[in-house]
Amino acid sequence: MAQRLLLIDDEEPILFALREYFTAYGYEVDCAREMEEAEALLANVPYAAVIADLRLTGSHGAEGLEIIGYVRERCPWTRIILLTAYGSPEVEAEARRRGVDSFLHKPKPLPEVAQIVYALVGSPS
Amino acid sequence: MSDTLLETVLEPGGLSVVFQPIFDVSGGGRRLHALECLIRGPKGTNLESPEILFEYARRKRAEAEVDRACVATALRVAAELPGCPDLSINVHASTLGRDHEFLVFLGDTAESHQVSLGRVTVEIVEHAFPWDGPRFQSALAALRAIGVRIALDDVGRGQSNYRMILDCRPDYFKVDRYFVQGCRGDFYRQAVIESVVDLATKFGARVVAEAVETEGDFDTVTGLGIDLVQGHLLARAMPASKLVAGDFLRPTEPPGGAPGLADPA
Repeated sequence: MAQRLLLIDDEEPILFALREYFTAYGYEVDCAREMEEAEALLANVPYAAVIADLRLTGSHGAEGLEIIGYVRERCPWTRIILLTAYGSPEVEAEARRRGVDSFLHKPKPLPEVAQIVYALVGSPS
Repeated sequence: MSDTLLETVLEPGGLSVVFQPIFDVSGGGRRLHALECLIRGPKGTNLESPEILFEYARRKRAEAEVDRACVATALRVAAELPGCPDLSINVHASTLGRDHEFLVFLGDTAESHQVSLGRVTVEIVEHAFPWDGPRFQSALAALRAIGVRIALDDVGRGQSNYRMILDCRPDYFKVDRYFVQGCRGDFYRQAVIESVVDLATKFGARVVAEAVETEGDFDTVTGLGIDLVQGHLLARAMPASKLVAGDFLRPTEPPGGAPGLADPA
């Protein structure tokens, strides 16, 4: 069975690009656009890795940081990558404190993201 | 196009319902006792799966809105079923504890679809404390006063514990799949089921074994005194059209008669 990834972003073009790319590589891919949707998926589906944006539409502000905490608490075996255009040193430090596995700045070429995913979780199957 | 998934869930046609028969197997027969109304989320979304739909609703703190939409969907579709079968509908305890108008909504919706409330069992589900205890108790009393019966879902797991049993005084104890599946060869699962049967008897309630999927587990739960059974062995959840076509809605069945084993489709 293929390893499963969860992509969390409120920008449809980014989700589309990531989904197509990782699906072509052979990973199973789910997408979530809201934090609560992501949490509901994480509560029911085992993921090898989560690739999350820092900010999602809504009132939380830095949902990506909350998702790191949620994943670390509920799914400790799941690797997590934060992908953000708002990557201040303070945010990165907080993400690392919460246990992020990789902190990437947007824009990031997809092959580089794929290399990091591969390094964290291995081949798709 | 809705802005959020929640709006998609709540808009007309956002939810659909399938029905799983609960059979009374006392005396060796298989008579339809009730239909559990099982909601599915918007097609093509992550929320099509009910587990993810309800987890999402809880995280959005939108249990009450989603429960209302579920009740409306279930009653609308069930109203068209022949034979006026009894219906079992899942509702969060928190909805009863927080949504002051839920009972009025249930009554009005049932009336608008000409479904007698005497046919309805509310299956209490809950995943987290706290809710307003006194208001919850009042809501349960009011449900009973208007003819609705109470079932406690997932007995033995999560919040469906002894406290909840005391708070609900359910008419039905629904034994969770965790205890039912594999009980055939498991002394300890049998001990748990036996204790639930004993407790239910003292409460004057009936017990439903959920998720019965093998003949061995069927024989075991019935041997332990459970006479209400649901699960893939007897019938899978199905849309209304298949329920009608499969002749599941006949009012009575002779002992050992149809409907028999589930269509594997």
